[in-house]
Amino acid sequence: MNLFQSITSALDNSLAKDPTAVIFGEDVAFGGVFRCTVGLRDKYGKDRVFNTPLCEQGIVGFGIGIAVTGATAIAEIQFADYIFPAFDQIVNEAAKYRYRSGDLFNCGSLTIRAPWGCVGHGALYHSQSPEAFFAHCPGIKVVVPRSPFQAKGLLLSCIEDKNPCIFFEPKILYRAAVEQVPVEPYNIPLSQAEVIQEGSDITLVAWGTQVHVVREVASMAKEKLGVSCEVIDLRTILPWDVDTVCKEECFLNLEAPISRVCGYDTPFPHIFEPFYIPDKWKCYDALRKMINY
Amino acid sequence: MRKMLAAVSRVLSGAAQKPANRVLVASRNFANDATFEIKKCDLHRLEEGPPVTTVLTREDGLKYYRMMQTVRRMELKADQLYKQKIIRGFCHLCDGQRCVLYCFMLSSLTQEACCVGLEAGINPTDHLITAYRAHGFTFTRGLSVREILAELTGRKGGCAKGKGGSMHMYAKNFYGGNGIVGAQVPLGAGIALACKYNGKDEVCLTLYGDGAANQGQIFEAYNMAALWKLPCIFICENNRYGMGTSVERAAASTDYFKRGDFIPGLRVDGMDILCVREATRFAAAYCRSGKGPILMELQTYRYHGHSMSDPGVSYRTREEIQEVRSKSDPIMLLKDRMVNSNLASVEELKEIDVEVRKEIEDAAQFATADPEPPLEELGYHIYSSDPPFEVRGANQWIKFKSVS
Repeated sequence: MNLFQSITSALDNSLAKDPTAVIFGEDVAFGGVFRCTVGLRDKYGKDRVFNTPLCEQGIVGFGIGIAVTGATAIAEIQFADYIFPAFDQIVNEAAKYRYRSGDLFNCGSLTIRAPWGCVGHGALYHSQSPEAFFAHCPGIKVVVPRSPFQAKGLLLSCIEDKNPCIFFEPKILYRAAVEQVPVEPYNIPLSQAEVIQEGSDITLVAWGTQVHVVREVASMAKEKLGVSCEVIDLRTILPWDVDTVCKEECFLNLEAPISRVCGYDTPFPHIFEPFYIPDKWKCYDALRKMINY
Repeated sequence: MRKMLAAVSRVLSGAAQKPANRVLVASRNFANDATFEIKKCDLHRLEEGPPVTTVLTREDGLKYYRMMQTVRRMELKADQLYKQKIIRGFCHLCDGQRCVLYCFMLSSLTQEACCVGLEAGINPTDHLITAYRAHGFTFTRGLSVREILAELTGRKGGCAKGKGGSMHMYAKNFYGGNGIVGAQVPLGAGIALACKYNGKDEVCLTLYGDGAANQGQIFEAYNMAALWKLPCIFICENNRYGMGTSVERAAASTDYFKRGDFIPGLRVDGMDILCVREATRFAAAYCRSGKGPILMELQTYRYHGHSMSDPGVSYRTREEIQEVRSKSDPIMLLKDRMVNSNLASVEELKEIDVEVRKEIEDAAQFATADPEPPLEELGYHIYSSDPPFEVRGANQWIKFKSVS
């Protein structure tokens, strides 16, 4: 299955298993702009898979309401770039519901899905990766998968998790990433990073699409520099797996300062995109500098 | 007596000859103007609306025809450049051809009557803001086709220096060109506040679509504008589909002109440029008189899909598109009116078509040949900065300075 098919499969499993589960968002009924919900309305009915008008704040607020009554709400925001009208609902309402009601109420059965990340031609408003905004908000969970197999397992965990979750789907991988994915449901635990490749000289941490870039850098490093890289996919951004990534005393054991390779502090550009994204050459260069520190 | 009568009649018929000759010559000349009947607008909280007849001068008619044809040709050319992958990214056009493609280009085909008609009803010193279907407005607000096409191709000759693309075009008194729909409406109310404050009798046209009409912030803007009597004309361009969702499936009330509730509104035939012009004049006069905001719903249509990745036929029938094309095409309507009232000849209009085509070709050449903005500009214009600062980013690979 490719990524969007694995998402459909996860949603299909959820709606089959959980009679209270509903899917809603802009254009989800006909299958969604990225085809993630194809066939679900026909299979489960228009009461369970339905369109909303163009109103992100309303969509999330409405989803929180559904979740508070105990039903499972799976809301789609059409592009992560559009999530900001709903930011208040997510941060001030969803994240704090359990805490402020002393555990009397919660909206844990809410999951928000959104296509995420650069895609080559998205420019300012179809390319953003806003996980950092949410990474400092206790009460919600933020997850980014790197592949179809990962996506289905992680999405099912988000839906079943008793906390409101935001699930960002790398849109560039919707069709590009294909692998074997079981048709039956399965879970991949949240807040657990995965060591994809073990190594001894340097650690590379990434999530989503960047995991593939970094993997390539690791093999370049092995080939050209004889460096052994450990590649870690963080998977859950919040709460993140601190233990796997660094042991408590690791700071004093590092031989070089930690390096961050990312986009520039500019809005996501239109024509400059190829120069903006942290491609393998930039990552490789950072690695080389660290090795030679 | 008979002789005198005969003589008189000879003189008179002689005199009658000359005007007849002049009449023959005059029929090769055109009428200076003609009066047309236009559709009556539906009204909300208004005692009376725009007039149902209007006078179109030959000069104005030719000007509108040229402008509408330019917008149409420009959009078709953008469509073509897109298919050739010279334009990348998202492109939402104002025109109407079916295209099956992979990326977004947002076109305004058949919505030409809206942008040209609105411009005809206001002054260049008035202000306008819209969402992403902005190419037509960028042109009517005064920019050249070259600058628009060059912006689409991401070159430095583009109106936003190549950094904005299809959705982000700006000009004097034209505030874009905005990607997040609905977000531009409170901005428009703010511009209207500035108009009122500056006291120069200016108004602000704030546009949004039938999809965005359901966004919460629009209602916030309505409230503020009405409370403070801002000279803001809210305009809903209802082309019946929000991407692929028809209005009945998205809105509890499709009477968009009434959605301002306490704000008076009118529903206008957006395919008829004269109707749009009269309604705009009416609305602008209303605002300028200090009565507060007003809402206009322009009923229009788009031939194209929402964007270039949308073939536009999965949610509506080809027959529907064809019917609009054959019966309500705004350029055809204007052309028929002008030719039938002797304001212009078919040949003359064809000549304009040829000139417009050439202008677009030249602009497309420029847009293809102009160089892209230099890489240093990636970091420019983030803040207003003095002196320039270094942009934080990918580890030490290329340092960019932010200059403003």
